[in-house]
Amino acid sequence: MHIIVCIKQVPDTANVRINPETNTLMREGVESIVNPFDDYALEQALQLKDRHDVRVTALTMGPPQAEVVLREAMARGADDGVLLTDRAFAGADTWATSYVIAQAIKKLNPKVDMVLFGKQAIDGDTAQVGPGVSEFLKYPLVTYVRSMTVADGRYTAETMMDEGIDVVEGSLPVVMTVVKEAAVPRFARLGGWMHAKQAKIPRWGVKELKAVPELCGLGGSPTKVVKIFAPPVKAGGVRMDGRELPSAAVQAVVKLLQEKGLAS
Amino acid sequence: MSHAADNPLQTDILCVGGGIASLSTTLALLRGLKARGGDKPLPRVIILEKSRAVGNHVLSGAVIDPAGFDGLLTADEIKRLPVEAHVGKESFHFLLDDRRSIGIPWVPPMMQAHGYPLGSLTKLTRYLATLCEQEGAEIYCGFSGAELLQDANGRVIGVKTGDKGVDRDGKPKSNFTPGEEIHARVVVLGEGACGRLVGRLIEKHGLQGQRPQSYALGLKEVIEVPADETRAGEIAHTFGYPSDLTTYGGGFVYHISATQVMVGYAYGLDYSRSEADMHRLFRQFKAHPAIASHLTGGKAVAYGAKVIPEGGLYAVPSLVADGAVIVGDSGGLLDSLRIKGIHMAMQSGRLAGEALATAWLNDDFSRKSLQAYEDALHRSEVWRQLQRVKNVRAPFSKHMALGVMSAGCAWLTGGSLPWWMVPMEPDHTALKPLRADVKPPPSIGIAPVSPDRLTDLFMSGTIHDEDQPCHLKILDREKCVECIKVYGAPCQRFCPAEVYRLEGDHIHIDFSNCLHCKTCEIKDPYRNIEWTLPQAGDGPRYTRM
Repeated sequence: MHIIVCIKQVPDTANVRINPETNTLMREGVESIVNPFDDYALEQALQLKDRHDVRVTALTMGPPQAEVVLREAMARGADDGVLLTDRAFAGADTWATSYVIAQAIKKLNPKVDMVLFGKQAIDGDTAQVGPGVSEFLKYPLVTYVRSMTVADGRYTAETMMDEGIDVVEGSLPVVMTVVKEAAVPRFARLGGWMHAKQAKIPRWGVKELKAVPELCGLGGSPTKVVKIFAPPVKAGGVRMDGRELPSAAVQAVVKLLQEKGLAS
Repeated sequence: MSHAADNPLQTDILCVGGGIASLSTTLALLRGLKARGGDKPLPRVIILEKSRAVGNHVLSGAVIDPAGFDGLLTADEIKRLPVEAHVGKESFHFLLDDRRSIGIPWVPPMMQAHGYPLGSLTKLTRYLATLCEQEGAEIYCGFSGAELLQDANGRVIGVKTGDKGVDRDGKPKSNFTPGEEIHARVVVLGEGACGRLVGRLIEKHGLQGQRPQSYALGLKEVIEVPADETRAGEIAHTFGYPSDLTTYGGGFVYHISATQVMVGYAYGLDYSRSEADMHRLFRQFKAHPAIASHLTGGKAVAYGAKVIPEGGLYAVPSLVADGAVIVGDSGGLLDSLRIKGIHMAMQSGRLAGEALATAWLNDDFSRKSLQAYEDALHRSEVWRQLQRVKNVRAPFSKHMALGVMSAGCAWLTGGSLPWWMVPMEPDHTALKPLRADVKPPPSIGIAPVSPDRLTDLFMSGTIHDEDQPCHLKILDREKCVECIKVYGAPCQRFCPAEVYRLEGDHIHIDFSNCLHCKTCEIKDPYRNIEWTLPQAGDGPRYTRM
């Protein structure tokens, strides 16, 4: 069985600030990390690999330095990695990104059994690329997967829906997006890293993918970012200093809520 | 494919700690071998770094003495160093009290730094790491050297990395990953100040210097200020307030660019006042008009703390053992008058790298072969500097005036007066019982340039998986009870990260706050706290220190 896990390098948004004057990201001191949800997707794949005869390929699209996320995936246990990188891919929206990734998957293995994504990336939060790829590949899509089993060319997956857990069955191939409840990602071992560091990672661009240039990158993107702005900062609010006497602060909070009619 | 079979893992050269000392060693070794040519393939060099990314656990001012670049970096590489300014206007101030200061009309010759690069050590470290990788070295972050592996003859043969995925009770979690053994021909110990493996090696092989290492705790913030091109490159050093007359303390303000100011304060850990509160002292320092004028309109955006080994020449241990060398801060190689160690880390690394290159070609990593490193160090400028200031630090513990006099003497005589070793007690013995009549320190309002300790801590980016065993071990809780009575639980105050909190008669530990500075292990008057390694990858995340 062959599983392709799509992962993305993202800025560590916990540390991102917006320059209030220019409305651009202040990247000074912000590190790049693997999109956390993609780690859960990779862990799902690796758990299937623990139990079955599975090849796991990590795939990413990004600038050349995004290669490191593939090595990290291989250090954890992925068998190989592919980097999709080309200036022509820059500025892609979710549609153009889905197109390029789908092209790469077709080239990598037209008979791939499963393609996994994190449920969304923490930078754009769109949750559209996984579904987009399933459309381009014409594979069925299962989203918000928290656990799954595979047997005899069929899968059973539990998905987290607003109203409860759905149990979905179907036949492979399939595209899935994975939530964080799936499993705690394993650590990369030092031996894994030493192996991954020396692995050859192919780099594919427009030419290798035989992609239609007009469908890639900014030019191939039907959506455009017209304006970026930071929402207005909320005004100060009321602060109760509880460092000296926490109980007094709590009483003050209760009193305030009562005055506003929010507590009885 | 499974990699579990390659156990133990193998490499040729293993560096523990991805700081500038290890990186300089690596660079000198690989470049030296390439320059020498020959048929022998280059060694595989692996560097283990406990933080998540190179440079996350380093901290310095930093005004960098460029002497460290000689013989290590090319002219082109020096040009491309990640620095935004070079030292222009320099000044030196004696702070008399919380308002007054005296500008010393001339900067003492030993302190002069005109034209020195000024910048972030994190960025310099990352730059060196890139150069090392270009030479073929492999750097693995998120792996700590937890245990030194030695054979039956005491020769160092490798290290074992720390376990991961252990819960708070010490039980394996679902992602439990046991530590891995990695063997090497030689282990380079560049763990930084107060290294754990270095400590073990020194103890086991009797490598101690003539007296125990003495430390200072340095606290630092990066302040963003409204752009002022005219101030980039301006630096100021201070001594005096808020230190008392028997504590070696001083501060710095560096305008590393038009919009960024590095501000820091270092306090000798042989201080005696139990009531001393490190973060408070830092805030008092910043509130002094002589300092505040540098920070006008600014906002603190990053914070960190680290100990500085300032015991000098007499505290330097033997730096070689069978199969191991010690470089940089780990070996106490720091100019304790200028509080400068970056150049010495680079120089010691270069000399170690050169000795390792010869050892690699001769296939001999015995103590005798590695001795070439220590011999070269003793002949080097590093040693001359350490000689010159060997007795500057100790007299400051008696009285500031004595310290200033000895600094003057040292400068006039090139370090030959006083010729004897001025004694110094270990830091943890210096604390005096908390007096009942201690006056509360002056109150300082919270401001963007003067955040409280927890706000600062947030900006250090420190984080630890909280479901792991507490890495700060209190050895005997009974001693805490006594300490609270006698010293008033000084851990609450010397910790720059609010790890320790007194709740009734119990010391509560928030280990996730830890900045890995190790002050608690050094300063606890009963030596009752052991700093052990938390899960690798955890700890502060300095990105612009």
